[in-house]
Amino acid sequence: MSAPASRRVFGAAVIPGTGALAVRLMLSTKSLRDRRKAGSRVAIIHQDSYGSRLDSRLVEGLRLFDLNLRGKTVLLKPNLVESIPGREVNTNPRLVGSAATAFLALGAKTVLVGEGPGHQRDTLLVLAETGLERELQERGIRFVDLNRDDLMKVALQTQFTGLEFLWLPRTVLASDFVVSMPKVKTHHWAGVTLSMKNLFGVVPGVVYGWPKNPLHWRGIDRSILDINAAVPPHFVIADGIVGMEGNGPLHGSPRNLGRIVLADDPVAADFVCMRLMGLNPLRVNYLAQAAEFLGNGTTDRIVQLGEPMLAPQEPFVVLPEFAHLRI
Amino acid sequence: MISSFARYERQRLARCRLLDELLRRQLPAGGGWSHRGAQFGTEPTALALLALHSASIALKDGIAPLIAHQGAEGLWAAVGDGDGINFWATALAVNTLSILGTNPATYIESIRALVRLRPVEGSWLVSLKFRFLDRHVQFDPRKYGWPWVPDTVSWVAPTAMTLIALERAKSRGIVGGSELQRRLRLGTEMLIDRACPGGGWNAGNAVVYGVPLRPHIDTTAAALAALRPRYGLPIVRHSLRCLLRNSACPSPYSLAWMILAADAYKDGGMDISPAINSARDHLTSLVEDPRTIEDTSTIALAALALGSEPINNPFEVEG
Repeated sequence: MSAPASRRVFGAAVIPGTGALAVRLMLSTKSLRDRRKAGSRVAIIHQDSYGSRLDSRLVEGLRLFDLNLRGKTVLLKPNLVESIPGREVNTNPRLVGSAATAFLALGAKTVLVGEGPGHQRDTLLVLAETGLERELQERGIRFVDLNRDDLMKVALQTQFTGLEFLWLPRTVLASDFVVSMPKVKTHHWAGVTLSMKNLFGVVPGVVYGWPKNPLHWRGIDRSILDINAAVPPHFVIADGIVGMEGNGPLHGSPRNLGRIVLADDPVAADFVCMRLMGLNPLRVNYLAQAAEFLGNGTTDRIVQLGEPMLAPQEPFVVLPEFAHLRI
Repeated sequence: MISSFARYERQRLARCRLLDELLRRQLPAGGGWSHRGAQFGTEPTALALLALHSASIALKDGIAPLIAHQGAEGLWAAVGDGDGINFWATALAVNTLSILGTNPATYIESIRALVRLRPVEGSWLVSLKFRFLDRHVQFDPRKYGWPWVPDTVSWVAPTAMTLIALERAKSRGIVGGSELQRRLRLGTEMLIDRACPGGGWNAGNAVVYGVPLRPHIDTTAAALAALRPRYGLPIVRHSLRCLLRNSACPSPYSLAWMILAADAYKDGGMDISPAINSARDHLTSLVEDPRTIEDTSTIALAALALGSEPINNPFEVEG
């Protein structure tokens, strides 16, 4: 697929009716190398609050995966957007801190936390206002602003956006074990934002801007696929203790889901999160495509650890544009 | 109660430490500055040069690192070996070279490229789409500024910095003409159109899905600096009042931007001195140990914001 093809698709996308067909053509995955594992593992941990038992619950959950972290550098990538009073916008700082402590307890040599917010240029302000700065200071964990890291040019192995390469932070590329830590939320452009969409935050604002607008113009779905194929996270810890429904990712309502989702496959993690939200993952373009080559979405290839899957009594509220996501 | 002298001395010492740290961080062989590592960055290099210049510190290599990274059509990428164009970086570089008294021949092509540039909403097809089909984000696409990178829409920060650079070039007689006037007018109208309903500026969207977005301090500051000639507009005065409430901001990056933008309004009729003094005191505390601040741009901005008064303000629009 060539860049000119991508520009044509943009042209088509502004003319109603032709855009959806063009996107489908662009998203054909038949020629892509199948990177799916034979089986993926997901654990659902019941946790009602960000209280004192969080550290131990997380260690217990991670032990189910028997991870070999000895001597490794672990990078935690939470979802930090900005602090809005009364809104559950960001991955909870307590969960990020607990994850850092848990990975150190499981043998990691170093744990870093890194993020590159998409709209707010002052990353340290987001860090301070969300409380994550204090949490990390108390636990002695270092933070890296991925928007302003040294960068490397990485050739893309997939061509969904038509981009030949992405500039990516050296810290991400040098880490042995990258953990995507999304907040479980609905999203007014992408439908949902989970572990795969969370990887937008590794794309550096210093090159792509605030917001990372070239990715929007190339298509959010397509960008998610290219980024995740370039730097697939090794693990997922999804913050579903309190999620967000409705007009996410900033102004939706808090939704008590009472779950943390752990997984060794981001596609499997996002499929399970969506089912917990009462939404159909196969109706999200990038997830349906990702399940064909990047990771596992079908239940026969996902081993469920921990607690059984229970759909919520009421599906997450979505904007009318995304009513088709509801099961 | 801190005496004026004690306050001045604290700020002076803090600024000295910031400038020392900038000199220490210069990349080998006079290669400019990096954001936080070893890779040339246009923004940190431009800001470091401005900060050192404001303190009359001359460098052996001068502007050479900035000129060395100027690309085709006089445009700059954001990072060293970057092969992309970044209009924020370009506007910042042009403004810096202009302030440093560089021969305009080195950046006249850059200015012409900025004047020629159209964001995607400058095309009638995209403009129609945003006016009639896609109204989730409320804005008028006929009023456009500058994007971060080519083939995208305009945003507040690169628009503000480009306006500041172009106004300076115009006031110094480096560039002129009706097309420049048209772009300055459109860029200014774009900033006014994108202001948040409660005052100030977000990255570029004011209302999304019917919900007003919150302003960001640094973006508000950049927009206000660019709109200084429009002080008479209610949205500008209101946004300035909103900005001045942030003197206790916990981040030195935003706080420095706030001081520099507010400083540009010191002769505007509003009493901004108490807010600026309070912000400078707070900033002095926040940058006590510059070695702990990873981002070089933040160090340079703080050094500029703590400059001895009257501040040698590189973001004050001339005219």
